[in-house]
Amino acid sequence: MKTELMLKLQSWVDGELPESEARQIAELVRTDKEAAALAEELRVTRSFLTGNEPEAKLPESHEFHWSKIQRAIERAEAEVPAREAVPWLEAVRRFLVPVSGVALVLFLTVVSIGVFDDRKPAPTGDDPMSQLVEEQTLSTHVDTTSYRTKAENMFVVYIVNKDGEGDEEDADADIDWEEEMDVPVIQ
Amino acid sequence: MATHPEIPEVPDEKLVRRAQRGNMPAFEELVARHRDKIYARAFSMMRNEDDAVDLSQEAWVKGWQRLKQFQGESSFVTWMTRIVINLCLDQLRKHKRQRAESIEQLEDDLGGVERQMPTVTVNPTAGLERSELRARIDRALGLLSYEHRTVLILHEFEDLEYKEIAKRMQCSIGTVMSRLFYARRKMANLMMSWKREQQS
Repeated sequence: MKTELMLKLQSWVDGELPESEARQIAELVRTDKEAAALAEELRVTRSFLTGNEPEAKLPESHEFHWSKIQRAIERAEAEVPAREAVPWLEAVRRFLVPVSGVALVLFLTVVSIGVFDDRKPAPTGDDPMSQLVEEQTLSTHVDTTSYRTKAENMFVVYIVNKDGEGDEEDADADIDWEEEMDVPVIQ
Repeated sequence: MATHPEIPEVPDEKLVRRAQRGNMPAFEELVARHRDKIYARAFSMMRNEDDAVDLSQEAWVKGWQRLKQFQGESSFVTWMTRIVINLCLDQLRKHKRQRAESIEQLEDDLGGVERQMPTVTVNPTAGLERSELRARIDRALGLLSYEHRTVLILHEFEDLEYKEIAKRMQCSIGTVMSRLFYARRKMANLMMSWKREQQS
């Protein structure tokens, strides 16, 4: 039986198949022994799991558990007013982070194209410095990684906002160097 | 248990309303009532006691912070369970990025393994005491990869549809279906092998 058909069979068992396809699968189960056996196995597995979730008891006393929760709540509540007390500081920080990133990009671009050095020989692929990866930490909020190859006349800068790390909704925000190789190239 | 003897008679809904107005003892009672359930969900997903304790604690803190958003569309414990599930999924994603996948797991994810498993034609749990059945389910869950285990938990224990699971696990519905299929077949075959061991 093909994988696609087996998955349709499972969807049928779970009641997630559209009516039109459900009729076809019901007919298949009625006429095909292999399909019927697989459907039965899936049904049985589902039935012995339902309502039989393993139980586990918290391995610490309520008092201890609650005291940790209470402390964490109080700590979090104490942090919020402190942060709200200087909103202008946050605004300045939010303004400076992208500005410093852009400034760095411009600076590295100017340096890489050799505006300040007209004595440089033409780049060759044999030059060990013709390909260079640099990582810099500008602040606690931003990391940059730049990749430069003179042979290819290419220069790429990644700016990573570290503030996003660890957020629930932004769990995949970290930049993977290899996956991001096709980002816009500044030449 | 909670240290407020007048509270245990009060239903969850009333305690939630009190807690939403900032009543900490009411929230403490809710923690006392549901701490094992929240911990159990974290443990079933993480398979690690320390992680499960930390994440269930974090879930309660988040629960308190977001309590005003709780409108009562589901029960309070269901709402809390969803919070701890999301925290576990975040944590598992972080772990996954940090660790190298085992060859076995890669083979599982590539598919095809489940097709080689023999079909289980009898109920492998027939005649088992409930406690023994739960122990075997727990053991089998521990042998699944986190992706397969999580899909199984969200579908069978949380009763979520494929679409909802895909959204939470940030993958396609097709991936959810194939992981669920593998997880069920693996579960059935493990149960069958333990039944045979018992009989021999």
